[in-house]
Amino acid sequence: MTNIQIEMSIAAVLLLILIIASLKKNHISTKSSIAWLLLPIVFLLIAIFPEPLTVLSNWLGFETLSNFIFLIAIALLIILCFFLTVVISHQQTQITKLIQEVSILKHKEHKNDKQK
Amino acid sequence: MKTRILIIIPAYNESQSIERTIGSILQTHYDYVVINDGSTDNTEQILKQQNYNHINLLNNLGIGGAVQTGYKYALENNYDIAIQFDADGQHNAEYIKDLIQPIIDQEADLVIGSCFVNKNSDNQRASKIRRFGVRFLSGTIKLFSGKRIYDPTSGFRAANRKVIELFTNNYPLEYPEPISNYELLRSRHYKIKEVPVKMNKRTTGRSSIHSWKSVYAAINVFLSIIILSIGRNKYD
Repeated sequence: MTNIQIEMSIAAVLLLILIIASLKKNHISTKSSIAWLLLPIVFLLIAIFPEPLTVLSNWLGFETLSNFIFLIAIALLIILCFFLTVVISHQQTQITKLIQEVSILKHKEHKNDKQK
Repeated sequence: MKTRILIIIPAYNESQSIERTIGSILQTHYDYVVINDGSTDNTEQILKQQNYNHINLLNNLGIGGAVQTGYKYALENNYDIAIQFDADGQHNAEYIKDLIQPIIDQEADLVIGSCFVNKNSDNQRASKIRRFGVRFLSGTIKLFSGKRIYDPTSGFRAANRKVIELFTNNYPLEYPEPISNYELLRSRHYKIKEVPVKMNKRTTGRSSIHSWKSVYAAINVFLSIIILSIGRNKYD
């Protein structure tokens, strides 16, 4: 095993531990953990079987395998970030609606109390 | 049947001016509701003490979310016309009847109280950069919709039942006035009319859109308009 393979394996295991621990404590939902679980799995696969990726990396013209891996990692992060923004925007709409409806209801209740 | 009219007054930290504003509204005898948008000063205390009709938003939503709450309230309570009116004392209650008249005459679905309608308009009070921003947005809207409104940013507007229903379901959260005006102009189903009004000198506070922020706001609205003109009209 080369150094980079060992480093990637350690990184993958640490990430895996973090995700599973967060899942157990209910800090993230199972649904949203799936995207994150893919990351250490891909890392582990690359660490254990580097040959196919090396071939692909050479074929695409990358100087070293690590450059190619960086590119993949950054691409994954960008996609993940984008979907997080989608989720946030969606939740913002939901929260706005919730605040509006609850505030109107509270106002109504207050008015009814006064009339009694 | 009597037309039911509601004045919507969004208020964020307006303790300095809220009493005077509501005082002027009370003289008109229209119904009103203040939407306290999570103010951090004693606006809520004043509203409570004076027993003004008000809704306290649990959290600050920003101008779009606050005004939309007012439209929801108007629909729920069966109002025929809703009027947006600033709490900071800029808008003059005397002009409310001018905004309502075109709706009663069924000439328009939305009426904008504008201080930029013609050359004689009372627009000297606005800062240079703001006037430029308004002209720029007015031009952009003309370019994309083919129709001219002179003051697309005015927060002094009157809406009929049809528009109240529309805004209840769909209202822009940021820079709501120019964006919703543009969508309404682009739709075949709505008529917009601008009427000239005089604005009071701002007695307290500053516009939520000032100095370089107005440049940022103009760019933001410009982009929104381009995006909107590509897609399907939400208001169609």
